[in-house]
Amino acid sequence: MHKFLALIFLSLVVGCNNSQNLDNTNYDDPIPPESGGVLTNAMIGEPNNLIAMIAGDSASSAIAGQIFNALLKYDQNLGFEGDLADSWTISDDYKKITFNLKQDIKWADDKPFTCEDVLFTWKKVTDPDTRTPYGSDYQLVSSASCANNHIFIAEYDEPYAPALETWASLHILPEHLLKNENINDTYFSLNPTGTNFYALDEWTTGQQVKITTGQQVKLKTNPNSVHGRPLLEKKITRIIPDLSSQFMELIAGNIDLMNINPIQYSRVFPSRSELNDKINLYKEMGNGYTYFGFNLKKKPFDDLNIRKAISYAINKEEIINGVLLGLGEEITSPYKPGTYWENKSINKISFDVSKSRELLEKSGYQLNANNIYEKDGKPLAFEILTNQNKQREMTAVLIQRRLQDIGIDVSIRVIEWASFVNRFIKTGEFEAVVLGWSLSLDPDQYSIWHSSQDGPGQFNFIGYNNPRVDTLLENGRKELKNEKRKQIYDEFSKIIYDEQPIIYLYAGYGLTAIHKKIKGVKKITPPAGVFHNDYEWYIPKKFRRNEMSL
Amino acid sequence: MSLAGLIIILIIGVLAIFAGYLSPFDPNYINIDAILLSPNEFHWMGTDALGRDVFSRMLHGAQISLLVGIVAVGISTFIGIILGSLAGYYRGIADTIIMRLVDVMLSIPSFFLILAVIAFLTPSIWNIMIVIGLTSWMGVTRLVRAEFLSLKERDFVLAAQTLGASDFRIILTHLLPNSLGPIIVSTVLGVASAVLVESGLSFLGLGVQAPTASWGNILTDGKEYIQFAWWLSLFPGLAILITVLGYNLLGEGLRDNFDQNT
Amino acid sequence: MIPMLIGISLISFFIMHLAPGDITSNESAFNPKASEESRQKLRELYNLDKPIIVQYGLWLKRIVQLDFGSSFASHQRPVLWETKDENGNIKPGLIQKALPITLLINLLTILLIFSISILLGTIAAIKKNKIPDRIITLFVFIGFAIPGFWLALILMYSLGVVNQVLPISGLHSVGYEQMSKLGQIFDLLKHLALPVFISCLSGLAGISLYVRNGMIEILNQDFIKTARAKGLYEKKVIFVHTLKNALLPLITILGLSIPGLIGGSVIAESIFAIPGMGKLFYDAVLMRDFPVVMGILTIGSILTLIGNLIADLAYAWADPRIRRGLVK
Repeated sequence: MHKFLALIFLSLVVGCNNSQNLDNTNYDDPIPPESGGVLTNAMIGEPNNLIAMIAGDSASSAIAGQIFNALLKYDQNLGFEGDLADSWTISDDYKKITFNLKQDIKWADDKPFTCEDVLFTWKKVTDPDTRTPYGSDYQLVSSASCANNHIFIAEYDEPYAPALETWASLHILPEHLLKNENINDTYFSLNPTGTNFYALDEWTTGQQVKITTGQQVKLKTNPNSVHGRPLLEKKITRIIPDLSSQFMELIAGNIDLMNINPIQYSRVFPSRSELNDKINLYKEMGNGYTYFGFNLKKKPFDDLNIRKAISYAINKEEIINGVLLGLGEEITSPYKPGTYWENKSINKISFDVSKSRELLEKSGYQLNANNIYEKDGKPLAFEILTNQNKQREMTAVLIQRRLQDIGIDVSIRVIEWASFVNRFIKTGEFEAVVLGWSLSLDPDQYSIWHSSQDGPGQFNFIGYNNPRVDTLLENGRKELKNEKRKQIYDEFSKIIYDEQPIIYLYAGYGLTAIHKKIKGVKKITPPAGVFHNDYEWYIPKKFRRNEMSL
Repeated sequence: MSLAGLIIILIIGVLAIFAGYLSPFDPNYINIDAILLSPNEFHWMGTDALGRDVFSRMLHGAQISLLVGIVAVGISTFIGIILGSLAGYYRGIADTIIMRLVDVMLSIPSFFLILAVIAFLTPSIWNIMIVIGLTSWMGVTRLVRAEFLSLKERDFVLAAQTLGASDFRIILTHLLPNSLGPIIVSTVLGVASAVLVESGLSFLGLGVQAPTASWGNILTDGKEYIQFAWWLSLFPGLAILITVLGYNLLGEGLRDNFDQNT
Repeated sequence: MIPMLIGISLISFFIMHLAPGDITSNESAFNPKASEESRQKLRELYNLDKPIIVQYGLWLKRIVQLDFGSSFASHQRPVLWETKDENGNIKPGLIQKALPITLLINLLTILLIFSISILLGTIAAIKKNKIPDRIITLFVFIGFAIPGFWLALILMYSLGVVNQVLPISGLHSVGYEQMSKLGQIFDLLKHLALPVFISCLSGLAGISLYVRNGMIEILNQDFIKTARAKGLYEKKVIFVHTLKNALLPLITILGLSIPGLIGGSVIAESIFAIPGMGKLFYDAVLMRDFPVVMGILTIGSILTLIGNLIADLAYAWADPRIRRGLVK
């Protein structure tokens, strides 16, 4: 009966493979670049507002990033290069940055781009009436001015090292279109005009322009693009809120690329040869890391020995193999491995059970009758909180097992994100968490580690307080010479690692699946990621989908 | 028909009650070497994305689904009997108010109501049971009231009243036992419906929370790997289908039975 | 009608205050820059500092004017209807956009349930206890018992990925705007096919059974025997007489199943990413977007009331006894 049912089920699910086998195209054919073609991808959220400084959500910034430019951008090796700026100089006292803007650049509506636009944008982002969470970085600019139409000068009271990064993330807005608008509430947020490769491709007669009709965002090439025309004529981003549906769409050929998880990368794809015939997989260093965080304001986590003992008791390699199927790395500093700021000189805390026991006993803990460590009658027990995320759940369980083996009683609670943040993180009502941060490109870690940042809703919610680290973080922001800066942050990351306020667990790889019909993707992914040169991608005519005059 | 239903329910009930003994593995045991294995001799229903044995999780899921179903229906039946008795026996103002309340509750889509309440509290198995219970008492209320209305005028009730029996006694010992038929049918069918609601909620992530296994949340995992791990999608869905079918068959069969008797 | 509305508003209001803390403290964003002042502004807007009776009164006053506030999560978009500001910029209302889609799905569902269940129920009644009846009864029971989201998954995969007959998710295909009117309708139907089918299923099962039983009962009644005895054709007997009589309660039953349909839209729309009320509600619940949750709860209930009203009117119109009574 079992088999019969399975058979029926399988026949529905596996089905007549006719339609799949119709795709006998050989996508591996090398074909030189041709312009035209439409790329279809997907995202889970819907953009609300294409003025990135106001929007704050990743869906909006992703689309806005295709439409606007900043003064600087990251090159393929994660250094800085000019985007709207041709070149820039920093004064000797590090308090003045002079940007030489590119000339002959036009907005998508043919009006010229000038320094006025940059000045206007800066004024808006620092305006207290503008509803933006990002103003503080730009408020550090004591004065901004235009020497002429093509030279923008930003002056700071004190040297601010992360400045260049801030100028690489501020989308420059057109002054001539926005000067009379209320930036918090303008048609421009849904109908923007930019300078980058693409422009919004939705026109309806009348005032109201919708970004999404049928949940798609359509972009078409901007003929005035500052970098020249990209090869792909249009980009369509479908809004598919569910990752499993996205994967189904990828397999069915309805979208051309997506980010995939380790199981899809190592188990699903290798088992389906017809998938590998049409899709290429790319692996690159990811953008975030997962950690085990202690609430430093609760005992016994204020004891360094306990924290270290727990760190020794956790087998990080096992976690990477189990959770990421090996597709990740251990880290010892909060910076992207392979980049300049990574501190390679730190010795890892290895998996060492005896060391762990030694430290526990040093702190006065003894194994009791139940084989749990106990001190003054209190057993060593706590609860790990994490949110609904398969990888984090699995990580928490593997940690629990290792700690249970040694003699620490650990329970786990998985909480839905909204409750998690509101009831436990913001209130400080937690003992330990498994969470993640992003791997920053600029080494500044002030908002996460400075002792002043531990208010409710702020990022230093574990309550870290070290005066030396405070000083280092403050100095690091002012030091513009890279070598000196590296020394400061090397010391910073060494102290953090020595004190183990969090245990770095892993940094997972970014895994992307891209259909073979998209050519021009670099085979060896540069540090900036596989999407770095997407303006060079193209789809040869014979692989293009049957799109009615799109 | 009801016999078939009864057999199904008993089998599942036994499996659920003895889930702990019958499970070959701990349902929450993560095994990183056994990720997404198809059914084999060790794992009769395969493993999931964390290497957990699906068969064991299914057994424990049965426990959860039945627990939720029974407690939720218990709550709703309890409320329904009380309100229905009051409305049917006393009539007048009590009846009007109670029936208005029933109408109001019936016009709010119950799934919306359940989701809204869970949004304001936190998703947990107890909240679900209580919320489902608090949103499904209307049917029982109406049934009990209808039965009371027809039974109230009968001789044996009038006799008891003349003899001076208290209202409470009359309701408890005379009226209720004679209304049991529809109440039982409603209870059985109610369990079926509660199981469906619970699995739907768990599927959406707002029901039974991980890592506790529920048929609904096993399906959520199954969704991600449907083309690769068919076993994660087949078994939980089938289990829900069979369980609900069983209760429906029993309920409908009993209803036919009681209808014939009237 | 009015007491019902008051009852609904009371229950909605009560639910709103179930949450520990107040609704402004539940922002799920990890945003240290969300200031205390904006929270205070929200508190004032929702009158959270006043006694609860006053709060209810004020809230009711706003609801009556159809002002459901602005969404927390979607950048202050109005919950119900679009707002026009001084510059003439229109901000589309959330429910305004989502409602037509859900209504369309529910309308199609009701139509399908109505027509198919009459067909199935009639066949089952005529061929009572023979093979067609048994098959239909089996189908009915399975339809009752099958979890909609499971069937949705299976169909989505087998018809969308493996056999690529229907789209996998969403409401429109890429290139929708370029299609002809006919093409657009066809495209819409293709996308709605599975959600409507899933919504139909349990309703179909129940009502087919009801039609069957109703027909059987009527077929046994005297006036039918009379008609048969008079020698009227079998078909005419069935269609004209029994159907009309069996149909009346059907309208009421359909009316009663409306809340189930509206509520059931949550699962169907979430799975197929249809931007209707169900999905809007689900997203709002996940993000604790209370104005939207309250708005949909209230609107959903009002819709049900309207649906029942229509069903009552349709019943009155359809029942010749009532109609004649009115005319007299």
